[in-house]
Parts: sequence; structure tokens; C-alpha cells
Amino acid sequence: MEVLYTSKFYTLYQAGHERCFYLDLGQKTIRLSFCQFLALRHKVMSISIESHFDSDLNEHGFEMLILCNKEHFFILNTLEVLDLKCLIDHSFSLIEMDAENVFTQ
Amino acid sequence: MKDIIRQQMSITASSMDVLNQQIQMESKASASYLAMASWCDQNAFGNSALFFYAQAEEERSHMMKIFKFINDSGGNAISPEVTDINHDFSSLEEVFVTALEQEIEVTKAINGIVANAKKTDDYAVENFMQWFIEEQLEEERSIRDILDLFELMGRDGIALKLIDERIKTE
Repeated sequence: MEVLYTSKFYTLYQAGHERCFYLDLGQKTIRLSFCQFLALRHKVMSISIESHFDSDLNEHGFEMLILCNKEHFFILNTLEVLDLKCLIDHSFSLIEMDAENVFTQ
Repeated sequence: MKDIIRQQMSITASSMDVLNQQIQMESKASASYLAMASWCDQNAFGNSALFFYAQAEEERSHMMKIFKFINDSGGNAISPEVTDINHDFSSLEEVFVTALEQEIEVTKAINGIVANAKKTDDYAVENFMQWFIEEQLEEERSIRDILDLFELMGRDGIALKLIDERIKTE
């Protein structure tokens, strides 16, 4: 398994032979198929971080994340959400940059 | 490093994002045309209502085409959420002007997708979007032709009824 990206709280791994990803979220590590990884990306990128700074929209500043066909349930605070957004964003950029390099070599 | 994403998905992640935004836009356009059809129906512009019902169907078919394309390419198509549909219009002409403005926005968005596809060397998306570019030319032209009728025939009383009768419903 190769480390794709490590953020402050989380680490994303790529398992080439299994063609899947593993995400270490601290409390536990979850296995993500590619579709589940895309679904995670959509969920995380759709979280409105602005709402965490408005007590009318998000009173306690927490986010519930249900992943992998309701197999996993996580509650994240604002800093963790920001960190997860960063991890997802950077991981995709790195993978795409890597693909471009392979293409141009 | 093995590129799992490329193995599983034929389009780039950025193309998938802009295509999902386009799904949202086409869906909103479809709902917006339904609101226009409803206004026309309530104001006794029968042919205009039929025109907008057909437009609503067409926009939905565009949405479905993109939706299927994303999933067929291994991506994750997102079912859109549509809110804030305007149901208030002050005249038949305003309805068609709003429709044209909406089509122009859709055209701009489609051009943006093609520009992004060119930038990321995503030829599959660039090729897929060619059909939409031609379709948008047709969509804009049909509404522009209707707006020309207002210039020719006027905007009051019987002129509106005559314009409505000249609107093609198929």
C-alpha cells in the first residue's frame, strides 16, 4: 500500500493490487472502492464550511459523515472537516499530476 | 504509482465536476421552463405553453444524457437539487426574454466545459460536448425567432394572441 497524502489528522493510502483506497481516520481505517471514494469526495466537498461559523445554520459546528453505503459513521468538527477537504483536494491533484507526468514522459 | 482513478474513470475528475454542475443547470432550466409553461397556460397562451412543456422535456433529456455519460465513464453522477424557480412574469415577451437569457447561460456553461476539457486533454468530454454545442445554437435561434415576432407584430392585445398562434409546438 502506498501513501497518497497525509494531512494533519488523516492519511489516504492507495492499494494498487486491490484497486481501492484506504483512509485512516484516526479511530479506524476504512476501505473505499473507487465509487465510494468518489462519493466521499462529493460529500466532503459539498460541506459548507461557512455554516460552521454561523450558529443558526450549524449550532454545534459538527458534521455527520455516513460512508460506504452506511457502513461507517463519523462525526467531525470544523478543523477535521477542513483537514479532510484538504486531504481529498490534494490527493486528487497529486493523482492527476502524476497521470499527466506519465503521459508526457 | 498505479493510477487507480484513470483505471476506473475515463474522464478527469475536473470534467466530472463541471458535468455535474451542468446536470444541475439543465435540471434547473427544465424546472424553469415548466414554470413558464404554467404561466402561459394560466394566461391563455396555449401554444406558448406547449412550446415550454416541450422545452422542459428537452432540457431534462439533456440532463439525462450527461447523467448517463458520467456514470458510463465510471464517474459519480449527482442527482440535482432544484430550488428558487421564478414563477412570476409580467408579460409573454418577458417569458421569452427570460428563456433566451437562460439558454445563453447554458451555452456559456457548455463552452466552459469544452474549454476545461481542452485544458485537461479530456478528448472524450470534448467530443461528447460537440452535440450540445450544436443543440444550443438551435435552442437560441428558435427563441430569438419568437422574440422577432414581438418586433414585427407588436406587444398588445390581439398581437399577443397572433404571436401565440404562430409559435411552433413541435
